[in-house]
Amino acid sequence: MTDVALRSENLRKVYPVKGAPPIEALAGVSLEVRRGERVALLGRNGAGKTTFLKIASTLLRPTSGRIQVFGYDVDQTPEKARPYIAVVPQEGKPFFHLTPREQVYTYLRARGIGRETAKARTEEALEKMGLIECANRLSITLSGGQRQRAMVATVIATEAPLLFLDEPTIGMDPFARRSVWESMRTLTRQGSTILLTTHYLDEAEALSHRLYIIERGRVLVAGTAEDLKRSVGGTVKVLLPGGAALVESFRTFGSCVTEGDALTIIVTPERLGELMELAVRSKLMATVGPVTLEEAFLRVVGRSIDEN
Amino acid sequence: MATSMLVQGVLLIFVWILAPSLLGVAFVGAIIFSTFTMGQRVLNEAAYIRIDHKANDLYLAGPMSPEAYFLGMSAGILVVYLAPVVALGALAAAVVHFTLAQGLLLIALASIVWVFSASVGYVFSTFFRDNRAIWAYSSLFFNVFGVLPPVFYPFGLFPTPLHPVALLMPPSGAAAIAQMSLGITHLTSGELALAVGGLVVETVIVFLFAIYWARRTVRAD
Repeated sequence: MTDVALRSENLRKVYPVKGAPPIEALAGVSLEVRRGERVALLGRNGAGKTTFLKIASTLLRPTSGRIQVFGYDVDQTPEKARPYIAVVPQEGKPFFHLTPREQVYTYLRARGIGRETAKARTEEALEKMGLIECANRLSITLSGGQRQRAMVATVIATEAPLLFLDEPTIGMDPFARRSVWESMRTLTRQGSTILLTTHYLDEAEALSHRLYIIERGRVLVAGTAEDLKRSVGGTVKVLLPGGAALVESFRTFGSCVTEGDALTIIVTPERLGELMELAVRSKLMATVGPVTLEEAFLRVVGRSIDEN
Repeated sequence: MATSMLVQGVLLIFVWILAPSLLGVAFVGAIIFSTFTMGQRVLNEAAYIRIDHKANDLYLAGPMSPEAYFLGMSAGILVVYLAPVVALGALAAAVVHFTLAQGLLLIALASIVWVFSASVGYVFSTFFRDNRAIWAYSSLFFNVFGVLPPVFYPFGLFPTPLHPVALLMPPSGAAAIAQMSLGITHLTSGELALAVGGLVVETVIVFLFAIYWARRTVRAD
């Protein structure tokens, strides 16, 4: 098996729209995911993340470009790629008339996994996702977060070599999200590869070895979360409420972003003292903290991840 | 399951009260109608789990083939809804006193109608983007094609110029063959050939098309 789990080259997807210009959902996406990696596609709603995942998981045909899963062309020979993949679809739900235990077991059996192995993996996945206590309750009686955990359990139980997870932790409480993250780490340690989409910056940072920021169907930047944060131009973030009016005075210290009347400046530790002196002279309050992925995203995309 | 027997149950009661001599015809029709409306269940279920649960994404982005998905779902629905049909069959056997050959023929006809309707149901399920539209149209479609033609009543009561149409429609064609085997209806050899040929050929064509369509629609364009 090749060491590259997924490779796309100049992948495009254009949706024709009746009586309107076509929508270009993907505008030439090239990326690579190596075996054993956890890679996040990070982007705002409508950036093209789900379209990419649908093409990669053989459910949508690309307009042009190439995409391969473990060396198999997803567009030309999808039937060869499919045994290697499993997908947590966005907004997917377990069958309401099945319990989480039945849901996971049935899915594994449908994938051709033997009874005993399916049973063992079902129990393991339910345990990992903290679903043992509600494993025998009908899914219709579960909370939204529990249902989502049942979906993730269904897919991680497959132990497929390449897992696609489209917004896997949406609707989960912080504790459950961390359980999912831990399971993903375990899976990649065991040799699986994970490509997930998310618009949770903390999730992308905590979970991914590398991430791709996508905006308007294009990869804007790729690298580790640390690479991205370094690219912002400093490691310290200073927030000055009411400082937006004085943006020109602060621009020499580093990159400035205004949001309402607040001013955020990214600065190197060496120039922090000088900046604070100016803030005090300008009678501004200041909050100082480390640069996060949010600033990196804002600088790269020009908009906040939650902004539509 | 209870609702799946509603139309048949009501019609059987009407026949029992208004024309008890036609109870045999009505039982045969009810059995064929029951397997025909399983296509409606396939349509509803396939569309619902695709739209609401994203089950297609979960199952088809994996080693399961699209035709296995279609056949597995149809068979699953058959299993769920089979119990009331078997109960209906037992009741029919008690009332009509089938011979073994007549009983086996009825099972074969009902099975062919099931293959036809499940195939139609699956294909139609792929056209819908909204569950609310499905429930309205699917009930109308299956009830009209299962109730208006001579499924519950003797084939001879249907207007003569429309006989070929009724014979070419799988539920009424199958019902006409079953009625003939019970001696309730007389079909000429031409009419019998039309009914049998129509039923088999249409079912094979629709089934093969459903297989092709399942493969074709596994990926969106």
